[in-house]
Parts: sequence; structure tokens; C-alpha cells
Amino acid sequence: MKQTVQMREIQDKMKPGVITRDGFLGTDSRNLIDILIEDDAKVKRINLTHGQIAGRMQELREAGKRGLGDFISVAPHFEVRVDMVRGKLPCPFGHPGLIQKTNIQVRNLEKNREIAFTDMHIHIIAEHGFYEGKGSPYRLEVRDLIEILEIELPEE
Amino acid sequence: MAPIPQLLIGIGAISAVTTVLAIIMVIADATIANYGDVQIRINDEKEVTVEGGRPLLSSLMEEKIFIPSACGGRGSCGLCKVQVTSDIGDYLPTELPWISDEEKTENIRLSCQLKLKKDISIQIPEELFNVREYECEVASIVDLTYDIKQVILRLKEPAEINFKAGQYIQFQVPEYELTSESVYRAYSMASQPSRHNEVELEVRLIPNGICTTYVFEHLKEGDTVTINGPYGDFHLRETDARIIFIAGGSGNAPVKSILYNMLENNNSREALYFFGARAVRDLFLVDEMKELENKLSNFKYIPALSEPLPEENWKGETGLITEVLDRHIDSGENTEAYLCGSPGMIDAAVAVLTKNGIPEDKIYYDKFA
Repeated sequence: MKQTVQMREIQDKMKPGVITRDGFLGTDSRNLIDILIEDDAKVKRINLTHGQIAGRMQELREAGKRGLGDFISVAPHFEVRVDMVRGKLPCPFGHPGLIQKTNIQVRNLEKNREIAFTDMHIHIIAEHGFYEGKGSPYRLEVRDLIEILEIELPEE
Repeated sequence: MAPIPQLLIGIGAISAVTTVLAIIMVIADATIANYGDVQIRINDEKEVTVEGGRPLLSSLMEEKIFIPSACGGRGSCGLCKVQVTSDIGDYLPTELPWISDEEKTENIRLSCQLKLKKDISIQIPEELFNVREYECEVASIVDLTYDIKQVILRLKEPAEINFKAGQYIQFQVPEYELTSESVYRAYSMASQPSRHNEVELEVRLIPNGICTTYVFEHLKEGDTVTINGPYGDFHLRETDARIIFIAGGSGNAPVKSILYNMLENNNSREALYFFGARAVRDLFLVDEMKELENKLSNFKYIPALSEPLPEENWKGETGLITEVLDRHIDSGENTEAYLCGSPGMIDAAVAVLTKNGIPEDKIYYDKFA
């Protein structure tokens, strides 16, 4: 889909070396609008919202903060580590303010699976429905988030 | 009144022209603009000539004047502040989030964001003139835990470093699969200042971390690496106050440096060291710390585990380090605290310390060392 000038400017900010070293797009050559539409459709198909997904990420982040930088057990069978590092980043979509650089690791011990995300992910998913481009080292798959974080799907 | 389609066309045309002009200006600035040579006057005593058009931070670095920076000049760490005493224009939007109102009155600027277009005068802390670049050989790499390595670097050129116990260096990571350009990361020195010809580091693995992945997967004994330093204001104050050290993980490094320095200087101040970990497998150098208890007459090491495993049969302190701290401190009188760890740990520890009567100005920390 053709995208607006504004959207193209946002996509430019997502290139490697502008806000972060690796950028947000990976090897994805599609227009940002197409990336957003595809992920939005995935979330809608399962009757979820981006806010619900980000809400669960935030919930585990808050629980993991108690570990003061180390992994800590979180009921019922998670281990979470919240590790803040020096620095803050601006939102590529132009939200005012800066987002603290924070790495969050969640281990689902029952499923023996692990996922890592950042405060930036929580923000760009909640506010913009953006999970990063394909091939980005920080791309999050909606399916992985639902399975590992055990996000409850609404009944049909 | 103009019909709506005409209005939209008008707005669209103006937007398009503005965008094209902006693009032309950016391209022209990057390709045509030639600022010639630019003078940087430092602390009214030193002057260097550099090529104009480049950021102040990297220009200074090329002149072997190192301003600490943790993000490689992207304006995302807010560390590389300098005071500018000549007129260089208004603050850039990328600087403003990092500059307090008080700093604005002193014209403190982010050196990575300032492009040198004309001569400039700056003030930097005198101690930064002591910062040098060192070529080193990796003398040894030892696993302290499953995710923390001890790295000892032998200095080659220059062969000696002078620093205060508790300070840090910046480690240069060369280009490799995770980074297309060399980057710097800060690590506290675990060695004490008397070990002039080597630097000991404790590096904790961070998933996808550019430097830690390099250290864990690529760095070998015998390799040549580059560091610069020393930096930082985290060091033991010369008082007779009781000392409380609090650290977790690789935050042990500067505390170890300070403790050995105290030992060598026969410093017999009362000192408690609270070290937080999750389980026994996350503890390291415990025997060494216990040995220090015997050598330093008023020193006590208190390791605490937040989630010890039943099979580890842990008999020591349990709970988050802040909970253990709270149980041990009864008074904040004549006490100083020195903290090194994650920002979350430090914020929580500061709250416990102040609750127990230790004033904030007696609490020293390096959140990200």
C-alpha cells in the first residue's frame, strides 16, 4: 500500500544508525504501513488488541522488577529479569519524551521457552501496533508472545 | 471560500515543496558544506585544530581527548556533556532531554550532538586529561559464574595506568558480526591501583549485548584489545565513617578494587559488604572475600540469596539484598554507602538507606559502571 509522507519519515527514522544501531526494520523491504497492516490483521484475527498484548508484557515487566536486575520467579511458572542499561531512546513514531533502555527476559519454565523484549517494544506495540520488521534481531512474533507469555485468547 | 479539493492540493503542494527543500538542505550539508579547519580551545589552556563539520565528541577522541560516552555518539546515553563557553547557537532537540535547567544556565551541551561549524571553547573536568588510550594483551579469561567472566588485560602501550579504586575504563569492541563499527562499553576495574600494569574486569553476559557477546564468544587469551580511561567519580571518600558496600553481579568489580586498596593502605574503617545474588551458582569469589574478612580487621562480607535452591542447602542470608540490608542496618549515623549494580537495585537500596537515616549525599553510586 502507498504510504503517506509522514509514514515515510517515520520509516526513515527506523533505519540502522538513526535511533538505534540496528534499526527497527531488519531485512524487511516493505513499506511501514504494510508491516503494520499485516501484524494488525494477525492480532485482530485472534480477537486480541495490541494493548492487551503490551499489557501482559508490562505486567511481567513490573513483576520482574522486584528481582533488582536478577532473574526472579513469577507465578505460576515464569522467571523474569528486568535489566536497565544507561540511556534512553526516542519513539520512532515521534511520541514526546524518551523511553528508558530496559531489557526484559521472560522464561516460561513449563514450556521451556524464552523471549526477550524491551520497554521500547512495550511502547511501540501498545501505541502503534508495531512489532518491528522481519529480519530485525528484535522482531517479536505475535504468536511467540501469546504462547510464551500465556496471553489468554478471548472466547469466540 | 476555496473548495476542499483545491485546499487539499494546496496543502499537499506546500508539504511537498517543504520536504524537497529539507532533503536538499540535508544532502547539501552532508556533501557540499565545507567548514574547513576548526579550533577547539579546551579549558583556556590547550588548543587543537580539527576538520570542521564533524561532531565534537569524535573530533576530541581523534585528538586523544576522551569524553565518556556509552552509546557511540547517538545521543541516547546523555553522558558526553561538556561546558561550551563560546557562542554555538541554541540547543538541538536531541540534546534537550538530557539537559537540566541548571545545566542550561551553564551552557552544558552534549558533545556527540554538536557539529563543529566554527571555532569553539569548552571546559572539561581536569581529570579527563589523565584519560589515555591503552593497547593491551588479554592475559587471562576465567569463568567466575556461568554468566560472568573475569578478564585480565596486560597493558602494553602505555605500560602503566594510574587510577583511583572504583573507577572504570571503556573497552573498545572492534567490528564483528554484531556491529559494523567499533563501539565502546564501560567496565569498572576490579583490580586495585597498585596493579599499574594490568586491568582486571568482570563482564556479565547480556543477551545480544554487543560487548558482552564479543567477550564471551570471540575474545581469546593473547588477543590485543584497546581500552581508554580511567573515568568516574566512584571512589572511597577519605573520612572515618562506617562503610556500607552494596553490589550485585559484576557490580562486585569496583568494590573489590576498593577493598584491596583499603587492605594495601592499612585502612581499618568498619565496612559491611552486602552482595546480592539469586542462587549459589550466581555467587563468586566468596572464598576470596572471606579471606579479606581475616585480613581487614573491621570488614564483614554478607552474601545474600534471593531464591536459593533447596538442594543448595544455603545457610546464609536470604531475601532481596534490600531486605537483608534493612534487617542489618540499625542506624545511619556516621555512615557512607557505596553502591554498584543495576539502576533498579540502586534505586531500591537508596530508599532503604535513606529510610534508615543515611543522608542521600553520603550515598555514592555508579548505576551503570
